[in-house]
Amino acid sequence: MEELHLPPIDYAAIAPLLLVFGAGCVGVLVEAFVPRAWRYRVQVPLLLAGLVAALIALISVADKRVSTAGGALAIDGPALFLQGGLVALGIVSVLLIAERRVERGGAFVAQASVVAGTDSDRRQSSQPGATEVYPLTAFALGGMMLFCAANDLVTMFVALEVFSLPLYLLCALARRRRLLSQEASVKYFLLGAFSSAFFLYGVALLYGFAGTMSFTGLREAAAEAGSEDTLLFLGIAMLSVGLLFKAAMVPFHVWTPDVYQGAPTPVTGMMAACTKLAAFGGILRVFTVGFADINLDWEPILIAVAIATMLVGAVMAVTQTDIKRLLAYSSIANAGYVFTGVLALSEEGVAGTMFYLVAYGFTVLAAFAVVTLVRDADGEATHLSRWAGLGRRSPLFAGLFTVLMLAFAGIPLTSGFTSKFAVFSAALGADQVTLVIVGLISSAVLAFPYLRVVVLMYLSEPAEDTPTVSLPGVFTSLALVIGLVATIGLGVVPGPVLELAEQASSFIG
Amino acid sequence: MDGYLGGYASLGLLLIAAALLFVVAFGANRLLSPRNPSGAKTTTYECGIDPVPGDWAQAQIRYYVFAYLYVLFAVESVFLFPWAMVFDRPGFGVVTLVEMGVFIAVLALGLLYAWRKGVLRWT
Amino acid sequence: MADVTTGEQIVFWILAPVALGGAIGMVAARNAVHSALFLVCTMLSLGVFYVVQAGAFIGVVQVIVYTGAIMMLFLFVLMLVGRDASDSLIEVLRGQRMAAIVLGIGFAGLTATGLARGLGEVETEGLEAVNAVGNVPAIAAELFTHYVFAFEITSALLITAALGAMVLAHIERRKGERLTQRERSRARFAPGNYPAPKAGPGVFATSDSVATPALLPDRTIAERSLTDVVRIRELTAAEARPKGTDRR
Repeated sequence: MEELHLPPIDYAAIAPLLLVFGAGCVGVLVEAFVPRAWRYRVQVPLLLAGLVAALIALISVADKRVSTAGGALAIDGPALFLQGGLVALGIVSVLLIAERRVERGGAFVAQASVVAGTDSDRRQSSQPGATEVYPLTAFALGGMMLFCAANDLVTMFVALEVFSLPLYLLCALARRRRLLSQEASVKYFLLGAFSSAFFLYGVALLYGFAGTMSFTGLREAAAEAGSEDTLLFLGIAMLSVGLLFKAAMVPFHVWTPDVYQGAPTPVTGMMAACTKLAAFGGILRVFTVGFADINLDWEPILIAVAIATMLVGAVMAVTQTDIKRLLAYSSIANAGYVFTGVLALSEEGVAGTMFYLVAYGFTVLAAFAVVTLVRDADGEATHLSRWAGLGRRSPLFAGLFTVLMLAFAGIPLTSGFTSKFAVFSAALGADQVTLVIVGLISSAVLAFPYLRVVVLMYLSEPAEDTPTVSLPGVFTSLALVIGLVATIGLGVVPGPVLELAEQASSFIG
Repeated sequence: MDGYLGGYASLGLLLIAAALLFVVAFGANRLLSPRNPSGAKTTTYECGIDPVPGDWAQAQIRYYVFAYLYVLFAVESVFLFPWAMVFDRPGFGVVTLVEMGVFIAVLALGLLYAWRKGVLRWT
Repeated sequence: MADVTTGEQIVFWILAPVALGGAIGMVAARNAVHSALFLVCTMLSLGVFYVVQAGAFIGVVQVIVYTGAIMMLFLFVLMLVGRDASDSLIEVLRGQRMAAIVLGIGFAGLTATGLARGLGEVETEGLEAVNAVGNVPAIAAELFTHYVFAFEITSALLITAALGAMVLAHIERRKGERLTQRERSRARFAPGNYPAPKAGPGVFATSDSVATPALLPDRTIAERSLTDVVRIRELTAAEARPKGTDRR
């Protein structure tokens, strides 16, 4: 019997991860033992405290560049930056999820197991929402943080599942339009399960090819094999399907509008900000650490994917009449812009991508926060025609939304401009001229639906039934302020964060 | 009877013996028993209450939780099985106990939650 | 390529037809429960194949998790959805089904030829070295050292799933929502409620099924014997005929 030894684990480096997962586990305990009336008051501070502690832990290990737990985790620059972004965006998402003022009892249903539309469902409409959403959110965020740091395929797959499963569940818990929400959840779950299967198949083939799961091992094996190995390319293709699905890239984007529309709006915001960030964290690591040396072989296909994503997202956004679907297609197009940064395959590209993800996350969260506020008797009024004349009814929120829309459109002095500039200049630096041209065309097309919403809000007469903008509670106000400050702050003085991203842009291993 | 497959040979023989026993028992029953088929004997009940139309009833969704809890522990057993084979390796003792302890503790949280929600009480 | 032993060949030629037959049966069976059982058959055969090919661990997992736990969930969902439930045959998107078939076959063909090309002349490498200490201990040694973090995080996955099953399938009754025995008793004898059981089929009824309403002397249906759970059913003449159980 040979001796076995546990590989050394750098607990300081993975403390942020452990804190978030710990918050989730304690959250489950709270669900089990704290009386119902107190759960909300315990869960929200608990989760926020866990996330803030994780953020502090991240700052304290910001200079670490280690590979730990037997090489399964790479706590390097990109991992730490993306984890920081995830925790920050996660805090804002939790603020939106915890809001209970705008809608009595919050955006989540009290008991999802009660059949929608029955008498008992009507009876529970005034009860406070389920508090299981907080541990679920904690697990989702923890999984995403792990996904950005996973340094081998097995850990990455487990992380993928850990963050996907809570999201499938959260999608099904909307208080209003419950059937739509459940349908969204089933769609997301089925397609997500398919994409995970593809991912796993890819992992199996890559292991068969290289005999190792670690990205560094894959890189060495790939460099040795040259470009003729079928297993390697089938493996990369299948792995990409799983990753591109999570990032909502064309042609794996079809779930996005339906799920974004059906899910409770705070969850939609979290998916648009955090899930996208995590997915691109994984994509960055796979393509820049694992397969960068053989990029000539897969790059043309992924360039085609990026172009299709930018164009389809922008064109489809023009035709939308529902604000949540519009934002969904816009998020698809934005995934295309982020991907141009990835395809630059340079440290500049990595920095630009990471900056873009964080900047876009704050803006999109604020946009969804506004969506939660525009309501009528039936809940959120998401149809665009209902937004006509909103500028006259509530100039403050219309103005706020206008700023966010301008940021999406990439107007200077907003984060939308600086982040697009960061990825496109990185792509230009890597001679990806086609991508940049298509990106600019797509941005121009995409500006149209954004500006149409603005025009609709200001230049139309308010109708009789124009919904009112609810007064936001403390949580939503805070989320809005953070989102707005980040959007304008990263637009006016992008320097510090961009510098941070640049310092953190090299992977280890 | 040696080599890799040899170890499984006794298992295979046992399976074959079991199958034979089954065939012999039911075959003998078939050969020896008197049989007098009639239409009445094929009805669901020869006496008592007539069955109501379908022979199938929809299961209640709430039993799904039990099915699921079973899966949870089936998956746990998959990890316990290899663990049981290495936990006494030299140099590995306490560490591996802690590893498995953490894993089971987290799973036990799930069971604790289910218990507190009253799933385990039969009403 | 390693030599295939006689024992392995015998097992293969016995179980391969079983596995294949199960797979075909699963697709072809009309009854969904039969389909599931055919699938069990295939999965068990695969489990034996794994064991025979020196993958004892995956063989055991195949039996415990897939054939045991996952198939149980399968059957459960079948019982939930309905054995007789079938898909609607209306295409929401025109030509979608045809496109799906063509693309599916295309994808399968592409993957199969790719794999055949990639794996055609691959030698097994390092299998003996890995399995030297035994298949399961070798896997355990990897799992509890290199992949220990992934292993621990799997517990987060399982607990999420437990939370999810509870949130989506368990209705929690608050205190006071559940009627006590005393309240039930009071409700039963409250004015306006008929405390006795529902009337049985009665003297004039043609059958003693719970689906058959009781008949009053004037051959009208006794309202009180109806439940809203069981649908009323008129028995056919054949069903109402004496069963002949009294005769020899």
